[in-house]
Amino acid sequence: MNRSLVILLGALVVCVALFGGSYAVSRRVCQNCMAKSVSDLDWLQQEFHLSGVEMARIQKLHEGYLPKCAEMCAKIAAKKSELETALGGTTNVNPVAQQKLAELASLRAQCQAQMLQHFTEVSQTMPPEQGRRYLAEMQRLTLGLHEQTIEPSMSGAAGHEHHQH
Amino acid sequence: MNKENINPYPGFAEASDAKLGALLRESRVSPALPPRFQEGVWRRIEEAAAPVKVTGGITWLDALAALVLRPRLALATAAVLMVAGALFGVRDGSQSAHQDAQARYLAAVAPNSLR
Repeated sequence: MNRSLVILLGALVVCVALFGGSYAVSRRVCQNCMAKSVSDLDWLQQEFHLSGVEMARIQKLHEGYLPKCAEMCAKIAAKKSELETALGGTTNVNPVAQQKLAELASLRAQCQAQMLQHFTEVSQTMPPEQGRRYLAEMQRLTLGLHEQTIEPSMSGAAGHEHHQH
Repeated sequence: MNKENINPYPGFAEASDAKLGALLRESRVSPALPPRFQEGVWRRIEEAAAPVKVTGGITWLDALAALVLRPRLALATAAVLMVAGALFGVRDGSQSAHQDAQARYLAAVAPNSLR
């Protein structure tokens, strides 16, 4: 093979390796540094540029909401288990299973209402414009509302998998 | 101080030198030239005088390879690539961390069973 061609190909490989290596290392370092001290509420502060006072109020609301949310989640999980038992082994939806489905839907609706109430309270602790944006974003992410109105930069986590309480 | 000519027979000496020269030429054994010697000599002269002929592609590659091998340029390119890679990495890393933070908040306030 031509010597010049070998040199150029080698240089290209070195360039790709240098760029790729430094990209991968800095990306990993950056991710690790930013993930070190994050709490559940860090995203709110970053995204909505909240002050310390606002964050303190939100933290309080958040801590008050979490036990209620966990309680509702436990009820939903128990109802799911009951539904599973009612459906177990049958090939059609029997009246018991229908009743469990209705109860599960009711529980979910209660939980969603409680969640929306929390979002509203949090949005009211923010400056008006940020509060509206937060509420719209939360409704979009949790209920699929306002899909067309949200800017693409905020849609990153829509497909992420989240843990259940 | 003038030097006097001490040879009393100048004509004799010239004749003697000519004879000697002829004898010497005859005594030299000159080997036979290879066939088409003269033609070969002229061809080599022409080749040496002619510019080096190379194809366009090879010239371009060679020039680029020579450029790549310059230490200063190579170092500068490496530095630029590393800095660019680091900048892109930091940008993507912070975006990814931001998305992770959003996912963490969502996981805390809106469990999967509601979505």
